[in-house]
Amino acid sequence: MTINKLAKAYGFLWALRDLNLDLPSGAFVALLGPNGAGKTTLLKLLAGMIAPTTGSILVDGATMAASNPAARRQIGFLAPSDHLYENLTVWENLRFFTSLYERNDRATSIESALAAVGLAQRRDEFVANLSSGLKCRVSIAKWQLLQPGLLLLDEPYGVLDGNGVDLLEGFLRSHCQQGHIVIMASHHVSRALNLCNRAMILHQGKLTFDEAKQQPWPTFAQAFGEFLPHGESWLS
Amino acid sequence: MALLKQTYLLLCKDLLLELRRRDSLLTMFFFGTLLLFVFHFSFDLAPDKIAEMAPALLWLAFLFTGTLGLAQLFQAERENHCLDALLLSPLDRGALFLAKTSFNLILMLLVELVVMPLFWILFNLSAWNLLPQLFLVTLLGTIGFCVLGTIMSALTLRARARELLLPLVLFPLMIPVILATIRCMESVLRHGEFGEAVSWLKLLVGFDVIFITVGVLIFDWVLES
Repeated sequence: MTINKLAKAYGFLWALRDLNLDLPSGAFVALLGPNGAGKTTLLKLLAGMIAPTTGSILVDGATMAASNPAARRQIGFLAPSDHLYENLTVWENLRFFTSLYERNDRATSIESALAAVGLAQRRDEFVANLSSGLKCRVSIAKWQLLQPGLLLLDEPYGVLDGNGVDLLEGFLRSHCQQGHIVIMASHHVSRALNLCNRAMILHQGKLTFDEAKQQPWPTFAQAFGEFLPHGESWLS
Repeated sequence: MALLKQTYLLLCKDLLLELRRRDSLLTMFFFGTLLLFVFHFSFDLAPDKIAEMAPALLWLAFLFTGTLGLAQLFQAERENHCLDALLLSPLDRGALFLAKTSFNLILMLLVELVVMPLFWILFNLSAWNLLPQLFLVTLLGTIGFCVLGTIMSALTLRARARELLLPLVLFPLMIPVILATIRCMESVLRHGEFGEAVSWLKLLVGFDVIFITVGVLIFDWVLES
């Protein structure tokens, strides 16, 4: 995936400016930065949920158009407790979305995906009756089934308990190992850095840092330190 | 083929949700019958006025009832940002248009199947044999209403006070359909056949075909905007 001079303006306000990126298969990017830096805007642009003001996104050399269903099939957006129908059961939600994405072997796959996220016993419960954390688990099962080439996550940790976090991180690691690209925007810096193989920092709509993960990582510590409250460490 | 398959999938989902919630259908039934009773107590339909008044009153009831349904049309998609989930998926947006139009059409036809005979009973009308022809005209008019209503409902989806805005943008565009339907029904009630109103009937069919095609083609743009 190549991003060329991507920019987005809301009225006269530039939310994102001149972003150039090259993401190979298997890239796991931690997208970091303070509030209002443009992280969610970038994720929405990549998902095709909003159109860029300028610039382009290329996948395998071809322009990715949100109007192209084949391109959309390759993009996943894991919203922690959104994108599920409240008055459908867990099973019905997964069956609906797998049908929409034309995935084969749905029944057995859904069963195993639900078992993997610990919801096999709650498959016939309405999503409306689930807690935010359990809804997030349903979303994890959904994207496990749909296997998108590019998976985008916006603050996935907020609603998950310890087991949920382990499930999510296990899924993301295996998804990345299969050659898919993962981009995760989060304020849980240490968790994100632990998972990623590359980190990017956005600040006021500009990419101020973009490096492959290193150990130790003094350049990151220096770049990210600017956004930390006085006396705090990103490792905490 | 994929378009029809996706339409069927979305329609089944909407019908299942409606079966569970029963929000739209019950409200539409209640409002439709309530309007008939209001008309019944307000108007005394003399036999010579039936052909003139009945179609207009019936369509007033259908329009207001249908607008209630349209206001709820994307309710399930508004909860939990499910519309974003659909727009992110490889779904053909034309399928979403066809599914929503079909869903609203089914609800309206169910209401009309009750409201029309009830109208006949309340106003003590005798021409029961004309009901099939009147149903045909109503079906064509309802298709036009649902097609245009779905487009407008999607267009005003993110607007503030959309419940107020929807009828304001929809009703003026519905004038050809309302006019053609009322003229056809009037002709059937007066002469027992379409007679000279056949041209109005053709207009209705043309309107439906054109706007179904336009809807499938532009719904992508409508949702993006």
